[in-house]
Amino acid sequence: MEPIIEARDLTKVFISRRMKVTAVDHVSLEIYKGEIFGMIGPNGAGKSTTFAMMSTLIKPTSGSIRVSSFDAEKEATKIRQIIGVVPQQYSLYSDLTARENLELMGNLYDVTKKVMEERINYYLKLVNLETHADRFTGGFSGGMKQRLSVISAVIHDPEIIFWDEPTTGLDPQTRQAIWKLARKFNKEGKTLIFTTHYMEEADKLCDRVAIMNDGRLVALDTPENLKKKSSSVSLEEVFIHLTGEEIRD
Amino acid sequence: MDIKSELRKSWIIMMKEFKQIFRKKMLIIPLFMFPIIMIVFFGYGMGGSIKNVDILIVNDDTGMASSSLVQEIGSYIPKDSDIKMFSITYTKDMAQSEAERKIDAGLYKAVLIIPQDYSERVAKNESVTLTLLTDSSDTTSSGIIVNFMQQLLAKTRSISLNVPEIYGNLKYLDFLTPAVIALTIFFGTVQSTGYAIAGEREDGTIVRILMTPVSKWAVILGKTIHQLILQLIRAVILILGATVILGVTMNGSWLLVALVLTIFTFGSVGLGIAISAISEDMTSFQQLSLFFTLPSMFATGVFYPLSSVPDWMRWIAYTMPLTYANDAMRIIMVKGQGLSFIARDIFILIIFGVLYFAIGVHLFRREA
Repeated sequence: MEPIIEARDLTKVFISRRMKVTAVDHVSLEIYKGEIFGMIGPNGAGKSTTFAMMSTLIKPTSGSIRVSSFDAEKEATKIRQIIGVVPQQYSLYSDLTARENLELMGNLYDVTKKVMEERINYYLKLVNLETHADRFTGGFSGGMKQRLSVISAVIHDPEIIFWDEPTTGLDPQTRQAIWKLARKFNKEGKTLIFTTHYMEEADKLCDRVAIMNDGRLVALDTPENLKKKSSSVSLEEVFIHLTGEEIRD
Repeated sequence: MDIKSELRKSWIIMMKEFKQIFRKKMLIIPLFMFPIIMIVFFGYGMGGSIKNVDILIVNDDTGMASSSLVQEIGSYIPKDSDIKMFSITYTKDMAQSEAERKIDAGLYKAVLIIPQDYSERVAKNESVTLTLLTDSSDTTSSGIIVNFMQQLLAKTRSISLNVPEIYGNLKYLDFLTPAVIALTIFFGTVQSTGYAIAGEREDGTIVRILMTPVSKWAVILGKTIHQLILQLIRAVILILGATVILGVTMNGSWLLVALVLTIFTFGSVGLGIAISAISEDMTSFQQLSLFFTLPSMFATGVFYPLSSVPDWMRWIAYTMPLTYANDAMRIIMVKGQGLSFIARDIFILIIFGVLYFAIGVHLFRREA
């Protein structure tokens, strides 16, 4: 399979006044074109930092990343054009309407007016927000915000979608809708990379899963293989087996 | 970097900022009402005293009466102070027009002209007129000087005082308004730029914007142009309001006002970005921005002339850009002077502007 993201020896060290924290420690991985890739790990395992480096939000301390053959350090702008990021926070302008939020993102990605209008109408309908298009997002529920946040990230038709904890805090109905949406995007040929704390989500949705612990990559395989290798019945058992039972801060 | 595309994206950011600000209706009221309220309250409520004020005495008389008058002026110490009220420079044979130019240039707050036959006329108890020119753009100092001279000369009935109004009939409001406009622009720009960035960081929207192909420069440029337009509109409304409603004097050029405020706003945007960049959240931004802006309000001669504050406070004022913006605004609006008279202020404001902006941009990290 053709890798669309290649991370080599990725390390990120955060230095504050009092301490030095190695959030990601020599991580190498490949993500293949068209797959749904999950990143799981306890709090502070380094998955969000790895995610942020791969999506060009932060620069690695050492190591390299290539996204669709572009170098993340030198060609970050080109990478940003072909990726869409759904942040954990909904990150919507509460004093703009749903449509205006989408238009803002479309404009920043240079989507032409005609195409943008078609996509906005299509996506708003897809996530059942067409009747709320001209309402300020400040009054939206968490589920509505998440749905809008997702379509804001795909308005420019990206090849890769980075999705940070897509269903945290959502009700089962919205969670099902988000999973359906993820599968739909994947069927259209988009590569999906997401972080999650829900093992069931990773198990059901992902083609492959990376498990991180203490800044290191401790396992990377399909959910089935991971379960087989550690003779576990669920991904949660695999997770506990690899990362321990200790509660993390 | 594709400049056209960057400028287009700055335009998008700028329009977004306008949409947001005009939807916060509760913000519009203080945005324009705050300075009007300040002008009204301070304009009618302030008094003041002065010390060590530079004045020039043109004494064309060589008699005893003028010597004793000059001595009395020079040695006067106000009741509530231990410092002399005036720092006097003496000269003679100076035409009134030249004395006015000295005031225009800001060298003296007042010039007292004593005629050649002063002592002789006083001795004969004949009427004699002294001319007192004052820098009436500083209405506080000017009013106190005129009052002092009138009281001093009232002892001798034959002496009268001629006080020509070199900038027209000015009130304290004329002194106050240009500086309140500069202060409003300063506070407004630092606060709204900083709040926008700190707020966007807190709700995560800035991360989303920075994850698009838009550059850090385009984001900053969009926000800066938005502030420039907003603050200039504010200044125009304030000046028109102050002149029409309160009868404040506007003797100078609107273009020069725009020039000063544009440079000043540019630096203030930089300061707002810098403060928001080092603030962890909205609360710390509030505290930090007050720390940086509040001293300017009181130290830079907005409400009282710098000549009336202690030396240490004056030196602090010289390190603050608002001091130079106040000075330039008064020179334009009250004195009606041209570019050459505000060149020094503009030069210093440019230095502050470039410095603050460079620091702001440097601190505005992509790793929001």
